[in-house]
Amino acid sequence: MVNVDTPSSYGNPRFHPSKLYPSLSWDREVYVLGIESTAHTFGVGIASTKRPYILVSARSTYKPEKGGIHPREAAEHHVKMAPIVIREALKHAGLSIRDIDAVAVALGPGLGPALRVGATIARGLASYFSKPLVPVNHAVAHIEIARFYTGQRDPLVLYVSGGNTMVAAFAKKRYRVFGETIDIALGNLLDTFAREVGLAPPYIVEGLHVVDRCASEADDPVVLPYTVKGMDVSYSGLLTAAIRAWRRSKDNRDKARICLGLRESAYGTAVEVTERGLAHTRKREVLLTGGVAASPVLQEKLREMAKLHAAIFGVSPLPLAGDNGAMIAWVGLLNYLSNIIIEPIKAMVKQRWRLDNVEVPWR
Amino acid sequence: METGQRRSTLEIGVEGEPAYVGAEAILYVVDWFGVRAIAKYRPPKPYRHKVIDEDLRTRRTIVEAKALHTARSIGVPAPELYFVDPISKIIVMEYIEGVKLADIIESNLLEARKYAKTLGVYTARMHSSELAHGDLTTSNVLVTSNKQLFIIDFGLSSLKASERDKAVDLHLFIRSLESTHPEHIEVMVEAFLEGYSTILGRSEADKLMRIVREIRLMGRYHEERRRK
Repeated sequence: MVNVDTPSSYGNPRFHPSKLYPSLSWDREVYVLGIESTAHTFGVGIASTKRPYILVSARSTYKPEKGGIHPREAAEHHVKMAPIVIREALKHAGLSIRDIDAVAVALGPGLGPALRVGATIARGLASYFSKPLVPVNHAVAHIEIARFYTGQRDPLVLYVSGGNTMVAAFAKKRYRVFGETIDIALGNLLDTFAREVGLAPPYIVEGLHVVDRCASEADDPVVLPYTVKGMDVSYSGLLTAAIRAWRRSKDNRDKARICLGLRESAYGTAVEVTERGLAHTRKREVLLTGGVAASPVLQEKLREMAKLHAAIFGVSPLPLAGDNGAMIAWVGLLNYLSNIIIEPIKAMVKQRWRLDNVEVPWR
Repeated sequence: METGQRRSTLEIGVEGEPAYVGAEAILYVVDWFGVRAIAKYRPPKPYRHKVIDEDLRTRRTIVEAKALHTARSIGVPAPELYFVDPISKIIVMEYIEGVKLADIIESNLLEARKYAKTLGVYTARMHSSELAHGDLTTSNVLVTSNKQLFIIDFGLSSLKASERDKAVDLHLFIRSLESTHPEHIEVMVEAFLEGYSTILGRSEADKLMRIVREIRLMGRYHEERRRK
């Protein structure tokens, strides 16, 4: 199944891009097709220098019948769905591949087998149609698409997803990581717990994570480990304690209290390290992005924290918060306008490509 | 962060001038029976569930008071503890006039190196008493006008520190240098370990550094991790 989002679902960016990216030239009409395949989503988006900037975001997500993401199965899913998703994206944008000026691809970080599918297709498209190939870092893309749509100039960012939990801000040409998880990611914590205790799959029901749903049945949380180390968080002890508590629980009321305790410790620590980062960097904006940004509970907590420090809160439009090709196309466009291109023969995937290893020329 | 708050009466009955609003606490300058002191108040956080918030603020208040007391008693300069009230989440402690170590590295590296060594000595003293600071950044080390070091902000301390907890102290010290003075990390860390060795010996210092390296590789997506 291919899910297609257009501007009617994610809205319009707050400002003309020249306001956030004054060093780039926005006069020429340029189209970039972006490919995302770092984990369970194969996504294709098309970005342009002209309105509506993000023409389309099409994606297909691999959903394991049981267990977590199996990298090989995710890759097989991507191989099967890639041609369909690419065609859908072009069709909704009303473009042919010949109208595209450059092909962008997320080369990392992510799961090797999944990444290789996107990289292979992007190299193939670029070579066959003689288009420049543009490398994109997946984490930069999550931050930048959120920044573009909210119009935040210099935010402290909380990026939370199945594979990432980090607090980052821009300093000296790069997004620096001020705090991060020292073990598993927030999304991974919620998903693994839900799976281990039999709440999932499916992980998301009616737009809410099953842990959020289960927690809403309780008022009084079980107090579980709440681990902040400086500006870092740790979730592995929380996961173990929550699963153990669940196995000892007697009734549904107990179970709901455990979900609430888990959710509160997980979100509470993430918001607390963001607050620490805010006090440290003295930024005036707080930006939430990544797949877990879809949680209304997390949004509300971060909004309250920002208010305490008179900072402006922003969240990525939800269709563009989780993994998608549009964010890759957008950063692909920024990179392309900054002359960052790569020869297809050198475009190797980088599973551990850290956010703070990427120099960002357009800020 | 700007305080944006006026002089107010704290729950423990003293009046205070808010001097600093941090992420976790508000520091008030108060008159404590004729002595200028700091009252550290941990306000509730609206983004945390009430039960967890109460539990956390109580625990951190108590841990900080105990850690301050332990530090003083083993020869680690830290603010003298005057008063603690876990109900109102307030600690009253000695007022230390000083500048952050973070702010003097730039201007005087030679001196900063000496402070790093002293910090290594103090950290080793804490660690030999099973105390880990938990947030040992260059912003939590003050230098007074007579060049004495004071360690502050023990809110994330652990009183039964594991080897990992101890290593996190050095890890966070390095992290804070990375974000402000990446060019001086090597000389500062070397000095720190030199000081640490004078108390606990070279092998303990090496062990600490080894665990720090492990912790650093636990962050997501490190190139080095692949080579293991």
